[in-house]
Amino acid sequence: MITPAQLEALFDLRDADDSDYVIRAVDVRKIYRTGEVETHALRGATLDIHRGEYLSIMGPSGSGKTTFFNAIGGLSKPTTGKVYIDQVDIAQLDPYELAWLRCRKVGYIFQAFNLIQVMSCLENVTLPMAFAGMSGEDARDKGMEILSLVGLAERALHKPAEMSGGQQQRVAIARALANSPSIILADEPTANLDLHTGEEIIDLFDRLKAELGVTIVTATHDLKMLKKSDRIVWIEDGLIARVSTPDALDIRVEEIH
Amino acid sequence: MEKIGRQVRLPLATAMQISLQGIRIRLGRALVTLSGVVLGIAFLMSVITGEFINAAVKQEREVRNQTTLMSTFVTSEVGAVAGKTLSVAVFGALSAPEQALLAGLAAEHATLRAYGYSGTGVTAVPAGRLGEGSALLLVLGDNPAPGIALGGLMAGMVQPVALDARLRTYPDTPPGRLEHFGIQSAEMLAKAREAERQQGFRTRWIVIISLLVTVIGIANALLMSVTERFKEIGTMKCLGALSGFIRRLFLIESAVIGFVGSFVGLLVGLAFPLLAYGVTFGFPAVFSALDGKRLALSALLCLTAGTALSILAAIYPANFAARMVPASALRSNV
Ligand SMILES: Nc1ncnc2c1ncn2[C@@H]1O[C@H](COP(=O)(O)OP(=O)(O)OP(=O)(O)O)[C@@H](O)[C@H]1O
Ligand SMILES: [Mg+2]
Repeated sequence: MITPAQLEALFDLRDADDSDYVIRAVDVRKIYRTGEVETHALRGATLDIHRGEYLSIMGPSGSGKTTFFNAIGGLSKPTTGKVYIDQVDIAQLDPYELAWLRCRKVGYIFQAFNLIQVMSCLENVTLPMAFAGMSGEDARDKGMEILSLVGLAERALHKPAEMSGGQQQRVAIARALANSPSIILADEPTANLDLHTGEEIIDLFDRLKAELGVTIVTATHDLKMLKKSDRIVWIEDGLIARVSTPDALDIRVEEIH
Repeated sequence: MEKIGRQVRLPLATAMQISLQGIRIRLGRALVTLSGVVLGIAFLMSVITGEFINAAVKQEREVRNQTTLMSTFVTSEVGAVAGKTLSVAVFGALSAPEQALLAGLAAEHATLRAYGYSGTGVTAVPAGRLGEGSALLLVLGDNPAPGIALGGLMAGMVQPVALDARLRTYPDTPPGRLEHFGIQSAEMLAKAREAERQQGFRTRWIVIISLLVTVIGIANALLMSVTERFKEIGTMKCLGALSGFIRRLFLIESAVIGFVGSFVGLLVGLAFPLLAYGVTFGFPAVFSALDGKRLALSALLCLTAGTALSILAAIYPANFAARMVPASALRSNV
């Protein structure tokens, strides 16, 4: 699909330091208040994520996966608890630093894609580049390159509404790669993809991790993806229930099905 | 490991580009907001233009009214003037309505005998013979006390009736009926001035209210467009947009809509009174009444007011959008 040289041109090689953690969540709790009702979405989740790790998160619907992603990605403040990204407590960051973090350090793939409907695929992909201060020809070329990475180069000028769910998901993946992030947070990135495309995305993640040391955290139930991951984290009812390796997977999967 | 940096503020051009693209794609919504501005500014412009066309044609209209008033007096005394002999005594300078009255009488084929005045179709006669065979004496001119006896002027009239355009005093008692016509008393003038002041006050009040309604309308439309775009705004924030950038998107959008709307509004607001006054007073009179400099100033005022008010109206919606928590965009149901 794409040569290693092309991939390297898109992403800076980052020096991976295996000894430290890229993300640390310490006793993260999140309570949603809707009127009188309180939902304890996270009830003290603690997790350390290694630099360059490929981590999968599993858990039943409503267990708090998305909430956990938002918390460790700096998209919402936990009610209590701390999140460290590169050893920095993100609660201490000012709005400019937070925006920088969201823009350049982390690439998000949202569960609902969250593509901007009034913009073309290419514009969706180049938007984070614009926020990072890159625009014009450079951004367009890079955007096209990333789109071809997910196999959508010839649909660059289409609007999200004119595309299938799987295609939209791939645009969302392309957008997450826009500013060559060192962390990718992907909330069910292969849920809408067919077997083949799903495999290509898994392959892409694998290479980002192996060749560029990108840390990848995905919420997924995709067996292939789970098998590629270094660790699998189980979230149940707002808590990290257990952490396992893909080797132990076969029995586990049967459990959840 | 890369140190956490600070997000750069984007150049205005980037915000402008994204904002304009948003307007283009949501043209329908933008047009609704725009029509509010158009109406508000059209009203403001039509009041301003109307006012100064009105001021310009007012004098002419007053002359016309005064002339009509005087000729009504004449007709009520003698009936149709055609073929009738009328005497005119002029002391001092004639006012514009008085001149128009004489021209009108001549045009209607009255036989005019005049003392102290000459013109086409008018027979000049000495003071002593002015009244001979005439049905009515008109005393005109601006001399308040000519010091002449009315008896001499009215001698020999068919009916001894004199209409005086001023409240003049005479050394003698008039031999017949003496009436005043075509003059407005100081009280009437004061009343008219007061009515005008009241009218101006009311107009200003209506303009203020209508601009207020416009502002609230824009704010409302923008708030709705913020709620519609909740997901989009939140997504942008998730991707690294600063609050200030989101705020600017909305302010720019509103400024653009305000400017374009004001421009259309001022054209409409100019055309409307021109048409209305043009139909009443004739287009040449109305166009000659237009003053380029004042027109340019009013247009500038409308553009500034429309744009400024639109930006003002956008402040609350823009801040509302800018304050949004990024993660709130991620729920698929919004
Ligand atoms: N914004 C919110 N307001 C109120 N409650 C919320 C909000 N977001 C999530 N919740 C609740 O928090 C709990 C965890 O939600 P979350 O979206 O994290 O689950 P999830 O594991 O991602 O589920 P799924 O697999 O279905 O995506 C749920 O009970 C949900 O109803
Ligand atoms: Mg979820």
